[in-house]
Amino acid sequence: MNRFLNPLIVVALWPSVALAQTPVWNQVGEQAKNALQIKGDAARGAAAFVPCQGCHRKDASGRTSGAYPRLSGQHATVLIKQISDFQSGRRINQKMEPFIGEHVLNAFEIADIASYLQGLPISATNGKGPGSGVSRGNELYKKDCVECHGSWGEGNAEKFYPMVAAQHYRYLLRQAQLIRDGDRRNSNPDMVKAIKPYRDSDLEAVADYMSQLAPPDKK
Amino acid sequence: MKDSDIRHRFKPDNGFLKIAAIMTMGWTFPGTSAAADAHTIAATVCIACHGDDGNSVIPTFPKIAGLQEGYIVKQLRDFRSGARTSEVMSPVAAALKPEDIAPLAAYYSSRKMKPGEAVDREAAGFGKMVYLDGNEESGVPACIGCHQAQGVGYLIYPRIGGQHAPYVAHQMKDFASGDRSNDFGRFMRAIARRMTEEEIQSVAEYLVGLDER
Ligand code: HEC
Ligand code: HEC
Ligand code: HEC
Ligand code: HEC
Repeated sequence: MNRFLNPLIVVALWPSVALAQTPVWNQVGEQAKNALQIKGDAARGAAAFVPCQGCHRKDASGRTSGAYPRLSGQHATVLIKQISDFQSGRRINQKMEPFIGEHVLNAFEIADIASYLQGLPISATNGKGPGSGVSRGNELYKKDCVECHGSWGEGNAEKFYPMVAAQHYRYLLRQAQLIRDGDRRNSNPDMVKAIKPYRDSDLEAVADYMSQLAPPDKK
Repeated sequence: MKDSDIRHRFKPDNGFLKIAAIMTMGWTFPGTSAAADAHTIAATVCIACHGDDGNSVIPTFPKIAGLQEGYIVKQLRDFRSGARTSEVMSPVAAALKPEDIAPLAAYYSSRKMKPGEAVDREAAGFGKMVYLDGNEESGVPACIGCHQAQGVGYLIYPRIGGQHAPYVAHQMKDFASGDRSNDFGRFMRAIARRMTEEEIQSVAEYLVGLDER
């Protein structure tokens, strides 16, 4: 119970803490540091991923509704960082907490799962936006996002920038809103700066655009 | 909800339970060679409640045929240690010799669980959705993620396809209340707490008819 409460308390105190000390967005915790140094084993990762399948699906394609993101094909580094951030409470999701906390996943299992997921094929039948925002979304993306998330939405493994292409529209939109509004605490501050001035309609357009991008070719 | 709400199913009266329990507790397990005894113990003790071959007839007693071997071992050990408790089953497990557990588990896991037939088709239809998709709104994961297609189970995730509905519904409520708390990772407690009464009853009804294919 303690582990579950702590993040909530931290969040309640967040505004005052933020003034005192701004954490470095990619200053990863012990767990992630360890996991990043381990060479993940994809076969073991497949078994460790079983408890995740009920939400993220067997093929890790998530849900087209956007309730659960696609994880297949995402960079292992990004996955390790996000999982560790959930464990440490830097990123909060109560629905997932009971299945991903430190009580069930250690650094080895995180590395294994990440290695397994990175190697899975990416489905192109993701939940797409309405399509009406694509041209405006394209403009915004080229201006503010391409530098980090890449021309094809492929992201950057070394820098922990997530692949955003072919992700579910509703998930992208929700995350973009959370990041803009400061509710996803592990976000990159430069990304927050870029997205801060966006109105909801801008976010819808750029999420629409990203959701229509074809799955990037991965070596 | 109480067991009495499960209208369309036969509920054993308490008298039978007590007789079965007393019968079992009075029993001293015979023999010395454990492996040879598994069949004897099964055919003389377990059969009273879990039926021939582990396919119990009475729906509040679980079918134990075809459960994962490791899962059976874990449950018997948990009953013995008190990690899982049941007025009826705990004394039976306590009377077992530790060396009987592995052969009994091997025996029952090699039997086939015989499915039943859903009585309430409409409920089973809704239960199928719960099984395959869960509930995105409340965060109930799809059961299929862990218990696999047709509920056949996998490693630590037990077979639930073909199991009796009243037993399943009862376990879900015990997970939700914490009366059963021996689940790995607290997974089932977290899941059952998120489920509505209707979801629990319906998914239980759906599981009854699942057969291995
Ligand atoms: C009860 C449903 C549920 C289960 C089970 C679950 N997740 Fe999640 N997961 C979610 C939700 C919901 C989100 C989106 C969180 C948000 O909106 O901020 C998510 C997000 C994620 C993300 C972030 C993806 C990204 O693009 O940033 C990762 C990584 C992840 N989950 C991994 C896992 C792993 C690994 C497991 C199993 C150990 C797991 N999840 C089990 C519901 C679940
Ligand atoms: C300075 C680099 C940078 C820029 C510029 C940037 N991002 Fe990001 N973005 C990131 C990083 C890093 C993350 C992951 C942050 C974390 O660890 O939580 C991220 C995460 C996201 C996510 C969540 C992805 C997921 O799988 O959970 C979305 C959506 C997103 N960015 C959209 C955008 C949009 C739209 C823009 C342009 C308006 C943009 N980003 C500009 C670095 C950047
Ligand atoms: C007097 C009746 C009775 C007898 C005899 C009996 N059991 Fe049970 N058994 C039960 C009941 C009732 C439960 C369910 C307990 C609960 O509600 O948690 C159970 C549960 C179990 C379980 C857990 C099943 C599951 O799906 O989790 C196993 C394994 C088991 N029994 C094995 C045995 C074995 C092996 C024997 C013979 C040595 C035996 N039982 C004899 C009544 C009995
Ligand atoms: C994250 C993985 C996971 C998911 C998803 C899951 N379960 Fe389970 N379930 C387990 C584990 C692990 C056990 C074994 C607990 C133990 O070791 O005692 C279990 C046990 C059970 C049992 C007890 C079986 C018995 O014979 O006593 C029932 C009933 C059950 N689950 C039903 C469900 C239903 C219904 C769903 C969907 C709503 C579901 N489970 C989803 C992991 C899961």
